[in-house]
Amino acid sequence: MPAEHLARFLGAQWGEPVTITGLKRFHGGSARQTYRFDATTASGRREALVLRRDPPSSLIETDRLAEYRALEAFAGTDVPVPQPLFCDTGADSFGSPGFLMREVAGGMAAGLLEPEPYGTHAAAIGRQLFTALGRIHAAAPAQAGLPAMAPQDAAPARLAHWRAAFDADRFRPEPIVDAGFQWLAANLPPPPPHVSIVHGDYRSGNFLHDGAGRLLAILDWEMVHAGDPLEDLAWACDPLWSNFSGRPGATLPLAEAISIWEAASGLTLDPVRWRWWRVFAQVQGLVIWISAAREVLDGRSHDPVLMFAGTIPYRFHALTLARTLESLK
Amino acid sequence: MSLPLPVMIGALAQAQANEVAPALQLLGHAGAPDANYAGGTAATSALMLMLAAAECAALPAREAAMAQAARALVGAAADGRDARMAALAADGSAAALALLAAEAEAEWQGIATPLGLPLPIPVA
Repeated sequence: MPAEHLARFLGAQWGEPVTITGLKRFHGGSARQTYRFDATTASGRREALVLRRDPPSSLIETDRLAEYRALEAFAGTDVPVPQPLFCDTGADSFGSPGFLMREVAGGMAAGLLEPEPYGTHAAAIGRQLFTALGRIHAAAPAQAGLPAMAPQDAAPARLAHWRAAFDADRFRPEPIVDAGFQWLAANLPPPPPHVSIVHGDYRSGNFLHDGAGRLLAILDWEMVHAGDPLEDLAWACDPLWSNFSGRPGATLPLAEAISIWEAASGLTLDPVRWRWWRVFAQVQGLVIWISAAREVLDGRSHDPVLMFAGTIPYRFHALTLARTLESLK
Repeated sequence: MSLPLPVMIGALAQAQANEVAPALQLLGHAGAPDANYAGGTAATSALMLMLAAAECAALPAREAAMAQAARALVGAAADGRDARMAALAADGSAAALALLAAEAEAEWQGIATPLGLPLPIPVA
């Protein structure tokens, strides 16, 4: 990502020459390439910014405009997000479609295999994390420019989405995933009382905290869509994101997390839908990991992050889904 | 495993040449645009190399044991078995589900042991 590209774009936006310094690419995050940099204008204005743009090969196909609109919807509210600045759905500005947002200073994110990533602040982080999730679910999809959806379509639409991805990317027999899809199709849940904004990848690793118990920003909205809020809650509470703690997101006990989410969202957890979405979370995860492996298999990527996704999370979810299916019979 | 071992080894070799080696050239150059990315790419690649080496050592014996277990549990479905196993599991065959769970656990242990990771812990 040449700094000259960014200087030219911001100079045109701000109407004066801009100098770019400190340009660095972040590691991880296969759905987007993420860079941070400092932009300084001739008149002395200085901004720490983050660029997220499409990579040549991605773990998931997503819509950058939807991500940008979601950030716009929550910027300045009690759901903490980075402030979005500019979006270009073409390749002219950033070399590929992408957008700029202000950097969240001092933030850190948990690693997948990191034990107790929040230390003694786990409960405080959990309270803020599940409160923010409840607030997202209290908002109507139209606030983020998402298309309307009938409640009865929420589960079938997501099932069809991931079934299509699985059929496109599978490269060997997957008996556990096949059995999971069959169970989901045969046991569709009742519709939610109303459709919500669903973040789509709400989990540990996708938010920033300050290391002292304060949630700074919810990130990675690239999979945002309208749907059943329990889709998000089940994904957030999946064991893969618990850092082997047995607590959702390695934060609070499950019952406490649900209670906080209910208070913030004004919704009540439906145990029938909850069971379905928890199975769905594992099936969705496996399809994502299979798609990552397919990128490597087809030679579209040699990114070790995609190899990691196609190996460690894949085997984790294959085991948890097999055990879950055993328990459902 | 989802990513077949020969594919992973081949891709890792490509990654060493095309991504890790150039990334390593940037380490120590704080002002280089991708220096931050370089360390993460090299570390993840090293982790995957370690897992690939562990798989090379453990895979043949594990697959032989799984094939033997499959024959004992589901008879003829053990031969060229994956699609038939899926059908059995979807129909609620306790034996098929138990076998798939046992295989998945063995595959998890194959990578969890070198990494010092436990079995998945339920969130309940």
